[in-house]
Parts: sequence; structure tokens; C-alpha cells
Amino acid sequence: FPEFDDLYCKYCFVYGHDWAPTTGLEEGISQITSKSRDIQQNFVWNFPIDISFKSTNPFGWPQIVVSVYGPDVFGNDVVRGYGAVHIPFIPGRHKRTIPMFVPESSSMLQKFTSWFMGRRPEFTDPKVVAQGEGREVTRVRSQGFITLSFNVVTKDMKNLGYDTTTADLQSPSVSTVTDASYRT
Amino acid sequence: MAEVHVIGQIVGASGFPQHSLFCKWGVHTGGAWKLLSGLREGQTQVDNPQNEEMASWSHPIDIHFATKGLQGWPKLHLQVWHQDSFGRCELYGYGFCHVPSSPGLHELQCVTWRPVGTWQDQLSQLFIGGGPQLKTNDLIYSGADRYRLHTSAMGIVHLQLGVILRHFDRYGVEC
Repeated sequence: FPEFDDLYCKYCFVYGHDWAPTTGLEEGISQITSKSRDIQQNFVWNFPIDISFKSTNPFGWPQIVVSVYGPDVFGNDVVRGYGAVHIPFIPGRHKRTIPMFVPESSSMLQKFTSWFMGRRPEFTDPKVVAQGEGREVTRVRSQGFITLSFNVVTKDMKNLGYDTTTADLQSPSVSTVTDASYRT
Repeated sequence: MAEVHVIGQIVGASGFPQHSLFCKWGVHTGGAWKLLSGLREGQTQVDNPQNEEMASWSHPIDIHFATKGLQGWPKLHLQVWHQDSFGRCELYGYGFCHVPSSPGLHELQCVTWRPVGTWQDQLSQLFIGGGPQLKTNDLIYSGADRYRLHTSAMGIVHLQLGVILRHFDRYGVEC
């Protein structure tokens, strides 16, 4: 996020009907972080995420939706990006860098009034970012990236006949231990 | 019945002449395949990258198939379109790739092509935009009748697809 400073992020999980979280927090808000002073200009949250799901079916595999907010010139809290990624289904440690995007106003006048009033276009429900339907009418601008690292443990996928890696089997009870969101 | 789950996303596209792109995607399968849940086709949002070269969509794909045979393994076909500031849509490329047949997470680069017309068409395309498009979309993923086409290469669509297979070993299929 090269142009912005003082960002915080919110995360939530989106999953299908067959899934239910068993333990852990489904949503959270991080602290506000400023850019590092060196050349890379990283934002570090190091925000822990710990959640377990159980399911009867891999359809609707959980996705994590991250929304980043920051202050604008006038001090209002404005959305700086949305992004979503599926939680990896192969057990082990994974790192994902996901692009963030922001909805764009449809006309110049609206762009100016939203800049002035501090109410930028945002999604009413961030879960829309994780869904495939209804996105064809939105125009977005992508800016910035977020890096997440996941440690995934799955249980009983092998017993139910699911193959998630070649010559190997795992199960639909997934426990995710995630840490560290950072990066511009 | 064996089952296949395709869980992943259309990450974005790069190498196209302009930004402000969106992608229409669909999955085509043979007769032995049945869609159990998920959307078979869709359209991404229109993305205009601010600082990057790559347009990012992060469009989620979550499809669940059941199958009785290996014929007609699912193929994902894509059409990349450009939307200009007036709201007009122009075709930028067709492409397709097979859904990977081995379980796990795969990073795919799908190359795209665009039909090329006569030199008059190309000249008007330079000024007005537009250009020849396919009348029926199944030419994107089928090999029949392609010899009539004259195409030129366009950019690349990046996909990250995860595949989970179920019960394939019961039928003796090694993936």
C-alpha cells in the first residue's frame, strides 16, 4: 500500500452451508500500524488467527476475507482494500500473498463527493468478496497486497476417501492456526 | 461414484494491452459428469490496477462434480474482456485449460488468443476498437474446425486451483 499509512485490518471467515466453526474466533480487528521507516515500507500486524472447522463436505471450503482500513486526509476511516483467499487444504505451512482491491465510484462527481465527505464506496457486507455471484457489475481498483501465513491441520480426510495430495488422503475436519499478516 | 472438488481462484491477468479487464469463465464437462454444487460459470469484477501490471480479480471458484467416467474431464474456459471508461466491452482473449487431474494446489498460467480479421478489420480495430469474436463459444475448448481461424496471442490469465479427489482409488484410477 504505497500511498497510505496507519492501517488496521479486519478479518472474517466465509464458508459453505456444510461447515461450522468449532472453536476460535470467527472475526477480529487488528491494531493500527504505521509504515516501517526503511526502504521496504512494510506494515506489520503479526495478528494471530486460530480457528477450527468441521464439515461433512469439502464444498464451501472456508475462505478468509480481509478488509484493510485507514484514515484519509480529513481523518475519516476509509476502506483501503478487500481481499479473500481459500484456506489451504493441504496440511502444512503455507504463505499466501493476496492482492487487495477497492470498489471504484462510477462517475467523477461521485468520486469527488466521496473524497470530500469521507464516505468512500465500500461493500455493505465484506463477505461479498468471497463469493462468485453478483460481482460482474462491480468496478474495482486493485492496490496493495497482504501476506498471510497458515499452518493447517486436517483430520479424517483420508478415512472418508478424500485425496488432497497425490497418493495421500486427508479429511474435512480442518483446524487452522494462522499467524502474521503483514506487508504492503 | 467418484467425486472431484475444484476449489481455488482466478487470481488475475497480465500481459494485456490495457487495464480495466474482466473475465467470463465457465467449466465444460463431458456427459458422464454431474455438477453437484457450485456455479458452473460466472464473471469476475472489472479491475483497474493502480500501481501494478497485473489486474487482480481473486475470483473464488468452488465446484463439486460427481463422475462415472474419466471422459470429458472438466475444462475451464475463459474470455477476457476490456471495459473502457464509456462502458463498452471489447474482447481481449479466449483461453482454456483443463482442471488439473492430480490432487493438490496448482498454479496455472492460461494463455489467451484473439481472432484476427482482415487488414481492414485490423485498421478499424486500431481506431474504433471492437474486432471479430467467435459466434459460438465451444470453439474455445474444442479442436474441431479450428483450422479456419487466424488468431494472435494476447496476455496470460493466472489461476490458482486446488483439486480434491474422492474415491478415485476405489475404481483403480491412479492420480
